[in-house]
Amino acid sequence: MLLLKLAFRNILRQRRRTILTVLSMTGGYVLCCLSFSLTDGSYKNVIRIFTMDHTGHIQIHRDDYLQRPKVFKGIDDTPEQRQQIHSQPGVQSIAPRVFTPALAYAGTRNTPVQIVGVDPALEKTTSRLFDKVTQGQYFDATLNADGYYSAMLGIGVAESLRINIGDELILISQGADGSIANDIYIVTAIVGTRNSWDRNKVYLPLSVAQEFLSFYGKVHQYSLLLEDENAVGRITQSLATALPTLTVNPWMQVEATFYNSMEADKRGNRFTLLIIVFIVFIGVLNTVLMSVLERTREFGVLKAIGSRPATIAGLILIETMMLASMSLLVGVVIAAPIIAWFALRGIALPDPIDMGGIEFGFMTGEFSVGVFAWPMLLIMAFAIVVSIPPGIRAARVSPTRAMGSF
Amino acid sequence: MTNAVIKTMEVCRYFGEGETLVKAVEQVSITIEPGEFTAIIGPSGSGKSTLLHLVGGLDNPTSGVVELSGTNIANMSGAQISDFRRDHIGFVFQAYNLIPVLSAEENIEYIMLLQGIAGPARRQRVQEMLELVGLNDLGSRRPNQLSGGQQQRVAVARAMASHPDIILADEPTANLDSKTGIALLDVMKDLNETHNMTFVFSTHDEKIMSRASRLIHMEDGAVVHDERR
Ligand SMILES: Nc1ncnc2c1ncn2[C@@H]1O[C@H](COP(=O)(O)OP(=O)(O)O)[C@@H](O)[C@H]1O
Ligand SMILES: [Mg+2]
Repeated sequence: MLLLKLAFRNILRQRRRTILTVLSMTGGYVLCCLSFSLTDGSYKNVIRIFTMDHTGHIQIHRDDYLQRPKVFKGIDDTPEQRQQIHSQPGVQSIAPRVFTPALAYAGTRNTPVQIVGVDPALEKTTSRLFDKVTQGQYFDATLNADGYYSAMLGIGVAESLRINIGDELILISQGADGSIANDIYIVTAIVGTRNSWDRNKVYLPLSVAQEFLSFYGKVHQYSLLLEDENAVGRITQSLATALPTLTVNPWMQVEATFYNSMEADKRGNRFTLLIIVFIVFIGVLNTVLMSVLERTREFGVLKAIGSRPATIAGLILIETMMLASMSLLVGVVIAAPIIAWFALRGIALPDPIDMGGIEFGFMTGEFSVGVFAWPMLLIMAFAIVVSIPPGIRAARVSPTRAMGSF
Repeated sequence: MTNAVIKTMEVCRYFGEGETLVKAVEQVSITIEPGEFTAIIGPSGSGKSTLLHLVGGLDNPTSGVVELSGTNIANMSGAQISDFRRDHIGFVFQAYNLIPVLSAEENIEYIMLLQGIAGPARRQRVQEMLELVGLNDLGSRRPNQLSGGQQQRVAVARAMASHPDIILADEPTANLDSKTGIALLDVMKDLNETHNMTFVFSTHDEKIMSRASRLIHMEDGAVVHDERR
């Protein structure tokens, strides 16, 4: 208690210097919080857009379908299978899908496309496909009056084939059994924009796609959304255990390129912050050293009357930690409203950023314990490190020399 | 076996080397018995401070042995020697004895805190010590609110507080006017007589040295005369 009192009074001795030191640490802290909040917030946003757009949080395939997609690598899509997956704790929705490359014809034009077969109702609960319909109507799996099934096109397909809502589309591919697959469909909707990842896709209702491919009762993929996006790792684990014959991948593996570049960007950001905090603390180190040198005589007395070297070093540590704590207190008071504002309102970007075909025009902050706590730990860690050299210096003061009474 | 508080045997302390070698303390062998009130006297530069530092465990001898209460204090680690000083030796320096941000009471309390004495016992002893040196009412003052003489009394009170075997005082009166200096000496002498506290102090003030029961004369680092009165 007395030691704390001593430390506290010591830092109040040079008020102006204390205030400047505290403010510089506060500055570093607030900067860190803001940066953490904005990078985490933006990426959370991007991840949400990304996973909601098409990847989902977790994907389930058979064998190595993810790396080597082959039409025949299908999962037996039974109600029990779906139920087993859906009933895992934390799984919010499940969407079965089939995929195959195909050639699309309309009139005299043709273009290569990727067919995606989706369950119209389940897909709505798992991806944003429904919201991405820009023209026409979201499809269903019923025959129209003329006996045709519906297809929805990415805008790239519609443009290459110069077709629109209501036009005919011929698809040719190879069935899962090796047969030639071909059929005529009617375009009922256009989805996405020119930048969308699915601009060259043709969506068919699941049952229609299965029939087209002679792939009855099978799917290539289950895409899952979770209730909590932070639970991906844990639920991937439990699903993998529950489904030993299938391959379960979190979105980080499904979209490894995006995930890795995001992580690299985050690391770069953190490194920049580290440098800034480092520079701040060079100043702090200087101040603490100065305050130690000024008090050489006092440390000499403290040592002469029996303070251990470790006690003296501890005193310096306590003083520096007190300065850091004050900075953090002020820092939280300053950072909290700013970050709250970023989290609630966000800032519009002058030019929307295109991330893998997903537009991203708003930058919002993240308001969480971590955003405040991690920079706090960083500042505290630096404060501890920075108090070591002056602490050693003070601890080593020779009591005779300090007394200067020879 | 003796129960001497201090025993030095042919202790030497040299500074520098070659041309600049200074023999600050040269072959000093003295014994201080419990209850003595000893003054080390001699001209400036004769080695008084250096000798006090050696016997107080603040400095290490170049050669020779220093025993405090029968313990050889050479080769003690940093923490050991600190603890030894804390528990066995009280110090009073010429000036700047006190920690400026602590009140008189807290300055005295600090050393007992180091000794791990419980709060209530500490505060009670602080009051006793302040009373001993006649500063009962000034305990809450900071050093800069005390006169030089009062500050030195607080330093004496602090030295007493830890129940040391001996109090070493290096020119405790040098920064005081002679009246205040004599008053301080009277406080010390009183503690010596009523509490049987052993004191060794250095001075070159005639009036001060006359209060001592033993005079150790130093010249050029060596003891040239040692008289008990
Ligand atoms: N740390 C030191 N380094 C070099 N010389 C010293 C040191 N301390 C003391 N001396 C020298 O030792 C001699 C004795 O000094 P000191 O013990 O302070 O004498 P006094 O206290 O009697 O005035 C002096 O010549 C002084 O210059
Ligand atoms: Mg001296």
